[in-house]
Amino acid sequence: MAVEARAAAAAGAAQTPLERLRPFAEAFGTLAVAGLLLLAFGLTSSVFLEAANLRNILVQITVVAVAAIGETIVMLAGGLDLSVGANVLFGSVVAADLAVRQSLPLWFAIPVGIAASAGIGLLNGVVSAVIGIEPILATLGTFLVAAGLAKIILHSSWIVVDSSFFADFVQTKVFWQLPVMVIAMLGLYAAASLLMRATPFGRSIYAIGGNPAAARIAGLPTTRVRIAAFALAGAFAGMAGVLQIGQLGIVSSGNTTGLEFQAITAALIGGLSVSAGGVGRVERTLLGAVIVGMIANYQTIRGVPPNYQQALLGGILLLAILVDRLIRGRA
Amino acid sequence: MRAAARATLDKRYLDAWFLGAMTVGAIVLFRLIEPSWLNSQTLQSIVTQNGPLAIVAMAMTFSIVSRHIDLSPGSMLALSGVVAGVVYRDHGSLALGLVAALGICLASGLASGIFVARLGLNAIMVTLATYIWARGLALGFTNGDPIVVDTSLTSVVNHTVGGFTIVAPLVLGVYLAGWFTLSRTRFGRYTHAMGGDPLGARRAGIRVGLYTTLIFVLMGVATWLASMIVVGQLASAQPYAAPSLELDAIIAVIIGGTRLAGGEGNVGRTLLGVAFISILNSGLLNLGLTDAYYQAYKGAALLAVLSAQILLRRRIAEDVRRRQEHERLLAEARGYA
Repeated sequence: MAVEARAAAAAGAAQTPLERLRPFAEAFGTLAVAGLLLLAFGLTSSVFLEAANLRNILVQITVVAVAAIGETIVMLAGGLDLSVGANVLFGSVVAADLAVRQSLPLWFAIPVGIAASAGIGLLNGVVSAVIGIEPILATLGTFLVAAGLAKIILHSSWIVVDSSFFADFVQTKVFWQLPVMVIAMLGLYAAASLLMRATPFGRSIYAIGGNPAAARIAGLPTTRVRIAAFALAGAFAGMAGVLQIGQLGIVSSGNTTGLEFQAITAALIGGLSVSAGGVGRVERTLLGAVIVGMIANYQTIRGVPPNYQQALLGGILLLAILVDRLIRGRA
Repeated sequence: MRAAARATLDKRYLDAWFLGAMTVGAIVLFRLIEPSWLNSQTLQSIVTQNGPLAIVAMAMTFSIVSRHIDLSPGSMLALSGVVAGVVYRDHGSLALGLVAALGICLASGLASGIFVARLGLNAIMVTLATYIWARGLALGFTNGDPIVVDTSLTSVVNHTVGGFTIVAPLVLGVYLAGWFTLSRTRFGRYTHAMGGDPLGARRAGIRVGLYTTLIFVLMGVATWLASMIVVGQLASAQPYAAPSLELDAIIAVIIGGTRLAGGEGNVGRTLLGVAFISILNSGLLNLGLTDAYYQAYKGAALLAVLSAQILLRRRIAEDVRRRQEHERLLAEARGYA
């Protein structure tokens, strides 16, 4: 007994302070970064901390944050989805086309739009999990297909959605003056978090992302779970597309350029393990999206041109990967 | 026994045969739809236009064989051209512009290499960051407008020999050098080893950090060369240039039969992959499609070819396995008799 205790004490002493901080840093590092940024931006800008501006940040990140839920789930399963941006566009185009150009009721148009995006996700799942094309290549192919289909439906034009239902996403406030779409985003994150933590499906995604071979030997239906993960990511992309109709009031082909990379960046800043699946939390991706949104908002307040904002986003992504490595240590 | 040996031999060239058939199929299909397509003039313009893609795809082969990947060349090509353009515009010296562009390409390649090799960061994520910031800088430096670079570079790049521009022999030279390096030198052998078994390569004493960094620097040089061709051809530096060059290059390498998992591949196959992508792009554009149909058809064609390739590969592997099983049983039966 005494020997064991001494050995344990020795092991504890052998840990450097950084190593002892590690679990803590993993759990609260992102939150601390968000807090520090909030403080720094608040001290250096008079408008940043105004309630209206903070609310504005939440509205601005909603579309990316919802699409990033799906991206996170796919990355947790060990994949990568480059088709998310095009898929958000596809879902919004289908829903807007049915609702405005075909004058069909919204209860029909919106679910069909989400289902169309889920269909692209399903295609991702089938070509990568069943046929075996690497996810990065498969989703590159579906990226082209989804973007092409969306533009074909658009007829190289745009769709103005003049509907009180969609306008209410931004205009109707629920509580704390937060608009409907922000509440929807929070609800979707709560649902996804529950799904990943408390259901067999969520646990098997972690298992497959962490060690695919072990998951298969343990009897998990790896192919089916991977397909479901991609299809679910497609459905979240479709929901993000519907929310975007409400946010912008117009659907055009430039709406979602680069959105997949913003979603990946949000997930990575949220502390998703970079090199392999199986590590990370869906709700932290929301924190990642908030951080990206705060930085973009602050740059706009400070008058940084959008092109340089993009350059800085790349730098921030690189920083996030570096910090991830420092916290987790060498793999 | 001889039949089995022949089957394994054929298997080695299966990807090449398959891709050759696909390319011929695409040519025939596009000719049927549009009989005037592909005369000697189209062929020359295909080679000229896809020279930059071919050069970047050669370097991408090294990257993928070593089990990495590089998403930076499209954005870096634009940034490299813009840097050359800005220096030329402000100082009037083309040579200085070329050197500055080479400098930024080398620096970016070196940085990515160090991040991946020394700090062990994931190459997809590091080069994804470059993909984002490099395009942002290219757009920021120019406010999104092209810079006119009407210099001797244009006349050099457009100089024709026997109907082909200087780009054709340049690409040929790059591929000969790439083939020699990847299959005949120590650097090439180590590239294969690192991709096949990274830990084993390290334990065998290969300086993995050094060679990995070299591979990213090689991509920097290739990107610079490609960007100078593009600037010369357009007589201007375009911040929006080469919007999805990296994706076409990766597809060319993979369709050529090099595995994304690393450890094997050669640049000859990549050239075949580039030929297929070039034919596909040219044929689709020649149909006078809008951007929308072009994207949708291209995506569908890529998915179909990649799927067919994998299914065919699996079928052949199954075939070989079954034949070996059969021969094993035969040998066993002979033993009993």
